[in-house]
Amino acid sequence: MRTLLIAVLVMLAVGVASANAAHAVWSGLVIAENVPQPTQIPPELTKFEQTLKDLFGYNQFELIGQSDKTLRTGEEDWLAVSKYFALHVDARGENDSGYTLNLKLYKEKEILLETDANLSRSSPLVIKGPQVGSGQLLLVLVVKEDEIHRRRHAQPANPITAGWYRLRRVIHHIFP
Amino acid sequence: MKMFEEKWTAWLDGQLSGKELIEFESSLPDLAAAEAEKLDAHKLGAFLKKELGAHALTNEEFFSHQLRERITRETEGRASGRGATSTWWTVPRLVWCGATACALFLVTTFVLMKQQNPGEQSDYLTQILNSKVDPAVNPNATVSIFESKNHNKVTVLWTEGLQSLPADYAAK
Repeated sequence: MRTLLIAVLVMLAVGVASANAAHAVWSGLVIAENVPQPTQIPPELTKFEQTLKDLFGYNQFELIGQSDKTLRTGEEDWLAVSKYFALHVDARGENDSGYTLNLKLYKEKEILLETDANLSRSSPLVIKGPQVGSGQLLLVLVVKEDEIHRRRHAQPANPITAGWYRLRRVIHHIFP
Repeated sequence: MKMFEEKWTAWLDGQLSGKELIEFESSLPDLAAAEAEKLDAHKLGAFLKKELGAHALTNEEFFSHQLRERITRETEGRASGRGATSTWWTVPRLVWCGATACALFLVTTFVLMKQQNPGEQSDYLTQILNSKVDPAVNPNATVSIFESKNHNKVTVLWTEGLQSLPADYAAK
């Protein structure tokens, strides 16, 4: 009985620890264009290549600025910059689906766009920016899985962690 | 030679007999009064004997009662002492409580996990809470939000009417 109890507690602790592991948020400034000889899409966007092509109708997605920020507290801020544009990302806390972010797109010192979003771990955010030449500026934000999460998702999901998230959600529903 | 008081006491106690008894009774000036006194003395003796005997018995009973009370008190004290040290959390009850708690935990976890297939992604999508474009710079700009229907679940913030920029702005 005592062994069973210890095993359950250890599993719960592992589940909670992995649920709270650090994530990295990748943010990129992308110029989407139609060109005769498209270059290879950046590896961070490979997963969404077809979706981006379907959504925007361009055949090339070139990265002009990017940032890969590992979030420890969920309250960090960072910049992804190109020569003329800057995307300021201000993380304002973690929730059970991802992170609350404040995004500001600057053209030099002028704010073009400001938005608040709950960036989900399982749902990237793409923002259509201004037309630039014959192309289009796109802002892409993706929560990347760290090594622990990559290994975990390569296998079936940890049922304890899934249960833990469910429990947290139920508790949040009951006590908002 | 016995003195009168000794003979009187012996007569009262009925210890004189024979010649000595006849001599003593004949020496008494008023035998009837002496007999009455003897009777009174016997009554008093019986009374005292009775009273003293009853007193001794009462005393014995009192001590016996005291002893019984003390034994009862001590017995109750021991019983209540045992009650204070014993607890509801006996080992079998602890085991049962632990098993019940584990069972509840497992049932809750199972129910919670059953709500979602563990292999599939979370249903959560990125949400746009609010969005604004500077109307002074981009007076005709509009913002709309939608989600891609494919498996990537991309959330798109779609802007229209932003000021177009020259190709130079595409520089890295």
